[in-house]
This record gives sequence, structure tokens and C-alpha cells, in this order.
Amino acid sequence: MLSLQNQFEENVLTTRVDWLINWARLSSIWPMTFGLACCAIEMMAVGAAHHDIDRFGAGAFRASPRQADLMIVAGTVNFKMAERVKKLYDQMPSPKYVIAMGACATGGGPYYKYGYTVVKGVDRVIPVDVYIAGCPPRPEALLEGLMKLQEKIRTSSVVRKPARLA
Amino acid sequence: MDFQGILDRLTAIRAPGLVASDEPRQADPKDKKDKGRAGDPFVIVDAQQLAEFVRACRDDDRLHFEQLVDLTATDPSKDAAELWINVQLLSLKFRHRLAIKALLPKTAASLPSLVPVHRASQWHERECAEMFGIRFVGHPDPRNILLPDDWAGHPLRKDYEFPKEYHGISCE
Repeated sequence: MLSLQNQFEENVLTTRVDWLINWARLSSIWPMTFGLACCAIEMMAVGAAHHDIDRFGAGAFRASPRQADLMIVAGTVNFKMAERVKKLYDQMPSPKYVIAMGACATGGGPYYKYGYTVVKGVDRVIPVDVYIAGCPPRPEALLEGLMKLQEKIRTSSVVRKPARLA
Repeated sequence: MDFQGILDRLTAIRAPGLVASDEPRQADPKDKKDKGRAGDPFVIVDAQQLAEFVRACRDDDRLHFEQLVDLTATDPSKDAAELWINVQLLSLKFRHRLAIKALLPKTAASLPSLVPVHRASQWHERECAEMFGIRFVGHPDPRNILLPDDWAGHPLRKDYEFPKEYHGISCE
């Protein structure tokens, strides 16, 4: 009979459930295939070989909001589009995250004053986790934003109640 | 053909609606307020006969303007009584161009559609209609092309007031 004595030490890692869930989530943030303006060109560059967003586990651009974890709002949101953006956000399963990429999605950008059809920031329609500055931001900036989002997920908690909320 | 040649030909064939022509000129050195006029020469056409004028330009053998390059409008100022319709024609056969301007009163901004003559003007007319409130009579598909269907006002009019909110989203 094979003895199981001392076998667990070599083959079993112990960790917290929170750490495991967060690690899984932040290592596979699948974005939605979704671009609105010139920022989307930079987003495509991030997806391509030179910058390679796949290194961060976020390279699987999903064609359906039902399979996506992250919405990168890459470009100008106008009122006609805002309702569609909201609908797509509502169709995404939780946990879901939003990156507002570039000046337009953050606060209207160059259309702030005279853009009569431009929403002055996508956060007026859906909640935003990370804002990225730039017009458009360089691919490195989008990767930085993604890493910020990963940091945010790393500090989130599913099982344990947050220690000191008050 | 140069502009003078085109103008002579338009006069010779009695193109309907031709009102006047306008050519760029140097500033008068004696008059300091005179700045001259830059840009291209154009003809001024009665807006109600614009479609027939463009048709005559297209069908004439010597002019042969078979392509409508652009159709747009301009609101020169808040106080102006008239809008401008600007049309650019091109003859691929003879390699000459013609710029047309038609004046349209703001109070009755309506003119016959150019679609029966040039189908290319469909989308241009739809854009003019929503941006300036111009009605193109006889347009086959007069929906908004860029703005939402329920948008109020005509944004490129100089007296346009920006909306305060749209479908619950604040615009300020």
C-alpha cells in the first residue's frame, strides 16, 4: 500500500480564496471588440505584435458582450452612441470593468465646448474604473491603464469583508 | 474650358435660373477697406431652378458636367436673411469644374431635390436638411443621416442653441 505520508507538502500550495479568485480575474481580462474613433487604432496597435496585450492576459477580444469582462471605451461617445454603449454594458456579465480611453471618453476632449452631440465623458452613462489621458493615448498608456485595473482587481475582495470600511 | 468659356456657353444655351457670376479680384490699392476676393469663380443661380440648371449643365454636349462633387450649405451669419447652397460640378470628359451658389431665404428654406438629376446628392441633401433645416422637395428618403431621429434644431444654423440634455444625459 502506497503511503501518502509527506506527499502533500510537495504538491499542494495553500493560499486564500480571495487571492485565487483575484489572480484568475486579473490574469484573463477579456475585452470587448469595440472601438468608436481614432483611439481604437491605438487599441488595435496594443493588440498587435509590437505591444502585445496578450502578455497581460487581455488579448482575447470577444465579439460578444456576453463573453467580455472589460469594455475599453476607445473614442468619442456621442448621444446617438451613448444608448448603445449603455446597452452593451448592461449585457456584460459581472464582474465587469470599464476603461475610458483618451480625452473624449474621459470628458469630451476637444469637443467639450462646441460638440453638440458629444457626451462630455462616458462616466455620465456608465461607471468607469480607469481613465487614460491622451489624445489619443499611446499604446503604452493603454497598457498602463490595464495594469492599473489589474491592481484594482488585486485589492478587491470577494469572500472576506473589507477590514475597515468606516 | 475655363470659367469664361463655361459662362459663355451657359448664356448661349439659356441655362435656366442663371442669375449672375462672381470672379475673384485683386484688392483696390486706393481703397484700404477693399480686401478683394480670393477663391474660385462661381455662378449664382436661382434656388428654385437649381435642379434644372444642373440638369442643363449635365446634358449639354460642350459642358458635360456628369459628376456632382459636392452639395452643401452655409449660414453666413445670424443676421443674414438667406442661406447659401453650394454645389460643385465636375466634368470628367473635359476636365473642367463649376462652382454654383444659390441663395435661399431662411424663412422659406425649400427647393426641389437634385436627386432626379444626380443620385449622388442623396446623402448630401439629407445632411443639409438636418444641419440647416432645408427642405428638399422630392427627396426619396428624407430621414436624418447623422443626427438621431428625434434631434431638435439644426446645429449648423448660426442661431442654434445647444441642448441642455438629451434622453436624460446632461450636455453641460
